[in-house]
Amino acid sequence: MNALTSSQQLMRYAIGLAIWLLGWCLLLFFDTHFDPVNLSLILVLTSALAALWLPLSVTLLASVVGLMAFNWSFVPPRGTFAIDLHQHTVLLIAMMLVNIIIAGLMVFLREQSRCAQAYAQAAEELRIWGDKLRDASEPGSLLEELHQALARLSVGKANNHPVALVAVNGQLPATNLSSALQRIGSANAEHEEALWHCLRSGQALGPGTGHYQELDALYLPLRGRSMTSGAAMISGIISADAFPALTQAQALCDQMGAALERHHIQQQERQARDQAQAQVVRNTLLAAISHDYRTPLATIMGAASSLDQQGERLSDSQRQQLARSIVEEADRLRRLTSNVLQLARLDAIAGKIQGDWESAEEIIGSVMRRMRSHDPQQRLSTKLAPDLPLLWGDSLLLSQLLENLIDNSLKYSPPASPINVSAYLDKSLGDKHHLVLAVRDQGTGIAAADYEQIFEVFQRGDHRKPGGAGGTGIGLALCRAIARAHGGELEFHATAAGASFECHLPLRAQPANPESHL
Amino acid sequence: MSLRLLLVEDDRELRATLREALLVEGYQVLTAASLAEAIAMYGQTQLEEASTPAFDLILLDLGLPDGDGSDLLVKLRRKQSTPVIIISAREAEGQKIHLLDEGADDYLVKPFSIGELLARMRVALRHRGNQVRAAVTRYEQGDLTIDLATHRVSRKGDVVHLTPTEFNLLARLVRSAGQVVTHRQLLVDVWGQEYLEHTHYLRLYMGQLRAKLEDNPAEPQLLLTEPGVGYRLLDTES
Repeated sequence: MNALTSSQQLMRYAIGLAIWLLGWCLLLFFDTHFDPVNLSLILVLTSALAALWLPLSVTLLASVVGLMAFNWSFVPPRGTFAIDLHQHTVLLIAMMLVNIIIAGLMVFLREQSRCAQAYAQAAEELRIWGDKLRDASEPGSLLEELHQALARLSVGKANNHPVALVAVNGQLPATNLSSALQRIGSANAEHEEALWHCLRSGQALGPGTGHYQELDALYLPLRGRSMTSGAAMISGIISADAFPALTQAQALCDQMGAALERHHIQQQERQARDQAQAQVVRNTLLAAISHDYRTPLATIMGAASSLDQQGERLSDSQRQQLARSIVEEADRLRRLTSNVLQLARLDAIAGKIQGDWESAEEIIGSVMRRMRSHDPQQRLSTKLAPDLPLLWGDSLLLSQLLENLIDNSLKYSPPASPINVSAYLDKSLGDKHHLVLAVRDQGTGIAAADYEQIFEVFQRGDHRKPGGAGGTGIGLALCRAIARAHGGELEFHATAAGASFECHLPLRAQPANPESHL
Repeated sequence: MSLRLLLVEDDRELRATLREALLVEGYQVLTAASLAEAIAMYGQTQLEEASTPAFDLILLDLGLPDGDGSDLLVKLRRKQSTPVIIISAREAEGQKIHLLDEGADDYLVKPFSIGELLARMRVALRHRGNQVRAAVTRYEQGDLTIDLATHRVSRKGDVVHLTPTEFNLLARLVRSAGQVVTHRQLLVDVWGQEYLEHTHYLRLYMGQLRAKLEDNPAEPQLLLTEPGVGYRLLDTES
């Protein structure tokens, strides 16, 4: 930048001197044609023109020297500094004053226009920077650009890393040696400490800032409205040009600080919104759960208190009936509890299940064994496609899914109508085969609109129908969560012949079979 | 002489209910509400020496006010083989498998029915002292007969041909008939330590065994699956 300035200055001197030279040529050329008064105007013109390029001191010196030379060469008696006529004295003094005033005005004008240009440039830079920050979804990604912009303002050419930057996202870390920072450029221990001080105090440090003037570098905070999100170090003195580079650097930094703060606040806002949404869903779930718990609890309470208070007046068969309903309802509560627990667990592990190789046949087998006790009319039947591949998943969750679906069918399809549990391969999707676990009954199922609503209850936190059809809501919500945790989907189909729930599970490459042990 | 049971359970209601139900069945029941009480009742010396066990069976809750029931199991298993059935509200399979591998005879998740508890107790009591007495070598259930000594398996009077691996797997289940055998135990005993991760072997061979021994492999009545934990061969008495 210095080299550039000196070559520009040389150019200006050259032009100024050329103008003076030209002026003198004109003077000599017109010497015999005009009287000294007219010639003096050429001198004034030359001096004014040269002032456009030459600095103030050179302009003044040139006009004084020019005036003396003019006196010597053109004012009679020629060849001396003596002046014959008094009017010529007035002329020379007036010329002198005019020259000085013009030179002064010219230089002042020139400085003004240069300042205006620099300010316009700085303002343009800030505007472009502001636009960029506004359009960036992640202002942190523009740190590199801020780094470059600050480097342009710096004159620390001897140092390869004139600028270092640190920025945090949100809260300041507790220790100075935190890795939770974005950093660009390198800083030694002393610089590092000053950067942290600047970051924590939110104050500019270094020469020209009024704080720690003796520092060898400038430290500027990236300030937002209420927090400081980072700090920048600019080593070397900022170019002492016509406009205050320090102000410009701080403006760039502050824009970045404001953008970082805005981003942080937006993030916090989103988090708060998510939390509120989760809270609504949780409340809905709790309301649905407590609703679903009351029914079996009411039966148990009724039956147990009847046994307790009317025991002697009841017949043996009545007592047995009451005891049985307590057992049945307690079992319903057990399953409900297990569903709620699994739903919470799936939520907590964010659908990342602990899988193993499982066989559909075994899962169906273990579920059927348990469900038979709820199926005195033998409504359940199974149908398994031969040679089913193994599936990767959590057998306990998949068993629970089937149990819930079968339980629903037992409850909501016409009494004594058959229910079929099947497993087969779905090859309709080209190479991506799915293993399907399906439960089909001859009921109407749940109306399709209700079906979606059952899930919505838990997704949107919209609690219009508490618990769906008496406990179905939580059960089905869990089934869908389980299917999705396995990378699959729970599908519902209703036809004239009946309704079916299908759990589609994607297949994985099968493990190697043992050969040597056969 | 009636069998002596130790029931370790901190909930008063459940303790009283179980105690009554077990007394009706003719067992002699002692109860403890905490780990310390259970250890005291057992007697420090008896816990540490392989003398005649003070109890025939222990029903052990896990979440006790002064510690975890599994501590007692570990202490006990150093010297004794008294059957222990865990009764707990914790249903994570990981814990179940861990305790079964630690030497628990069975694991019942609360809530359970008395019928279920009694059935599991009968199995555990039957297997009591397997380490000293000859293990079960013959299994008969319905039309299926398995004789481990002669390597003969017959169904409806016909000999069933099993591959050596199939037979080893079946034999392992017969020795613990009625009890859950974890995946880990099966893989180590039948294939070896290095096959611990090969759960899919079990799926394959259990499928083959079911195809040969069950009427309807989709609804097995003998070779039962305990999802996530292991397998159980139906108890001969149930």
